[in-house]
Amino acid sequence: MPRLTRWFALLAVLAVVQPFAVAHAAEQVVVSAGHVDLGPRFVDGRWTVQLRDDTGDAPTWRDLSEVVLHVNDTARTTVPDDPAYDFLGDGGSPIWVLPQVEQAGVVWPGWNTQDPDVTAAVEREVTWRLHDVRGPGRFVLFLSGNFGAPTTLFTSADATPQETGIEVGTHVHGNWVFSAPGTYLLDLEMTASTKDRAQVADRKVLRVHVGGDTDPRTAFDVAVAEPAPAPEPRAEPEPASDRTWLWVGLGGGALLVVVVVAVALRRRGEQR
Amino acid sequence: MHVRAFTRAIAAVSVALLTACSTAGGDAADGVSVVTTTEILADLVRNVGGERVQVDSIVPPGGDPHSYEPVPADAKKVTRADVTFTNHLLLEEQRLIKAIDANVREGTPNVSLAEVSETYGAHVIPLVENIGLDVLWLGLRVRGDGKDKGATRSSEVRLAATALDGPGELVLYLTEALGKPVVHFNSADDLSDADATTLPPAAHTHLNWAFTQPGIYRLTLAATLLNGGTNAPIPLGESTFTFAVGVDPTGVAGTVLNEGHTDLTVDLDTGELYTLNDAAGGANQGQVVPAADAVIEVPNKAIATIPDDPRFAFLGAPGGSVHQLPQAVLGKHVHGEIDPHLWQDVRNARAYVEVVRDTLRTADPDGAEVYDRNARAYLDRLDELDGHVRETVARVSPEHRHLVTTHDGFGYFAAAYGLTVAGFVVPNPAQEPSVEDVRKLSETVRNLKVPAVFMEPNLAQRASVLSQVARDQAVDVCLLYGDAFDDKVRNYVDMMRHNADEVTRCLV
Repeated sequence: MPRLTRWFALLAVLAVVQPFAVAHAAEQVVVSAGHVDLGPRFVDGRWTVQLRDDTGDAPTWRDLSEVVLHVNDTARTTVPDDPAYDFLGDGGSPIWVLPQVEQAGVVWPGWNTQDPDVTAAVEREVTWRLHDVRGPGRFVLFLSGNFGAPTTLFTSADATPQETGIEVGTHVHGNWVFSAPGTYLLDLEMTASTKDRAQVADRKVLRVHVGGDTDPRTAFDVAVAEPAPAPEPRAEPEPASDRTWLWVGLGGGALLVVVVVAVALRRRGEQR
Repeated sequence: MHVRAFTRAIAAVSVALLTACSTAGGDAADGVSVVTTTEILADLVRNVGGERVQVDSIVPPGGDPHSYEPVPADAKKVTRADVTFTNHLLLEEQRLIKAIDANVREGTPNVSLAEVSETYGAHVIPLVENIGLDVLWLGLRVRGDGKDKGATRSSEVRLAATALDGPGELVLYLTEALGKPVVHFNSADDLSDADATTLPPAAHTHLNWAFTQPGIYRLTLAATLLNGGTNAPIPLGESTFTFAVGVDPTGVAGTVLNEGHTDLTVDLDTGELYTLNDAAGGANQGQVVPAADAVIEVPNKAIATIPDDPRFAFLGAPGGSVHQLPQAVLGKHVHGEIDPHLWQDVRNARAYVEVVRDTLRTADPDGAEVYDRNARAYLDRLDELDGHVRETVARVSPEHRHLVTTHDGFGYFAAAYGLTVAGFVVPNPAQEPSVEDVRKLSETVRNLKVPAVFMEPNLAQRASVLSQVARDQAVDVCLLYGDAFDDKVRNYVDMMRHNADEVTRCLV
């Protein structure tokens, strides 16, 4: 589509979606305790990775750009002196762990594919891909199995992208481990084949702030950098400019809406 | 997943290329030359192609596609073929697939039936990597806000185990992130006030449920709302939940819970305790089944060996076994891979036949009418076959519908015709069973009291473990055809008829 026509199309769509988008993209939230889930939804018919926030009175689905998960020092512990946990670092070194099972006072992040539109549309499973981790230390997501034997889903110690599958209609928790305080940007994508043989994909950055000595809200100021060049041709990098605009536009009504719509259109173009 | 989509695209492109030069190899005078990997696929192609096609199977009669390695003559066959059909997806030996892909003549279709048939409506089952995780995922939940009972976000619900009736002990424990087990209920030291756990409102959690002996268990849970401060605890309800551990759950209660996700749930608003269920695959989420109407199945594939780690001594002696529903079941499937034995469901064979028909029509347009006519007649026979298999297997009483086999090749047969795969020696016949695998198999046969186990004719030499288990447990060894024919059964229809008849003869 010629650029000019695309902008007219944008403005036309803008008129329709503005009320929703403004109501939705209102606030920046830091979650320090309670239950949240990452997961795909169809937002206005568009496959979107969001965060379900169950820490308020009613569940709210938030855009990842509006959320920082804060891993406070209640989560701080040390790597056990057990070779089975070498993948977390040297025995005795400090780590921050958000456990698979709820622990009072820390965030309990899981992931689910239970949105009714998702369970109706998707064939068998959702592919969850980690494209990149930016942060001051190691990030590992692992599961504790029978008798504690760990299974690693993602680790920043290995090359990215990495991927795992999430069966449709499931809700799962794992252990999220960070090895140093500071802000982490997890560049994540969820994709699926739908029952009518289409491919849907959405790629977003989740902000995690680790440690109690610094203000977790500073994580909102960390710009989403240029994504690493995609090693697979199919994983198209998202243009950095759109993301940067999002930060500039946060709270800024109309501009934000334009950008959200621009991203929406671009996303639709990316769907295969 | 992407690889598969890519293969599908390639298959489509190959078909298109061939259309452009359709007389290249498919001269009707000599017939269309087709190569398949297995005899089963060759039989399906013959039924569609009739006299117009010359079909050759690479894996010889009675051969095992999981282990067959190609010889140079196979490469020649593939080079000469106008159309090549494979099953693909982990059935054939990797080297065989590679040899085919490397030798297929440019412009001729090379179709993976398992992959393409999905777009023709074939039902596919994800490949199970860890059968110990292919079980019900059982948790505990508090539902509702309990505002009318004064509950707030800081309230807690206490769930206590007050009685256990069963042949062994139940331990409910959680393995923490860094490997430390924490016991919540343990019936071994008698149930007391210590056998309780607390959950906040609207919370849910997962734990390991370990049973020390097979049999039927009845667990009574009582719930109490704790609003904190000087508020007196408020008794909620009490319910008794039933478990069928290692034994057949048929007839124990109306609803058998054996897949997907279930929480034993306290409803803060009504005070009831019931099961709340999400079926596998995303359909039927949030179904309530009252405790008295449900039986939770803990199958023999949930047998786990107690580790040699003093922290787990509460389960019993190291090396002993428990039936255990695990706290996390993610990782049971290999991401993106499916069970390759699709044809064991006759409706999937129908989809294969439709793919064969359309591929031959494209490769040899002059024969389109013949292929259509043959396919129609054969599809009618397959419909009749599907009905026969279904009716025959239905004669086995439900509590005996358990298959114990040499390899994991009957998942589709079981799913389509109402049986369960209770156990197998090894997932893939190219693997060797461990001592633990053999012990689990023996326990499965003993616990379920199956009257017979099933061997595949082409794996007879590898079936010594199964025969030994059958001898030890004094049960029959019967025959099921899985991946190949033999000299008695020479076509797909006969194979499926035999399998249905044999299951009924041996299990009734």
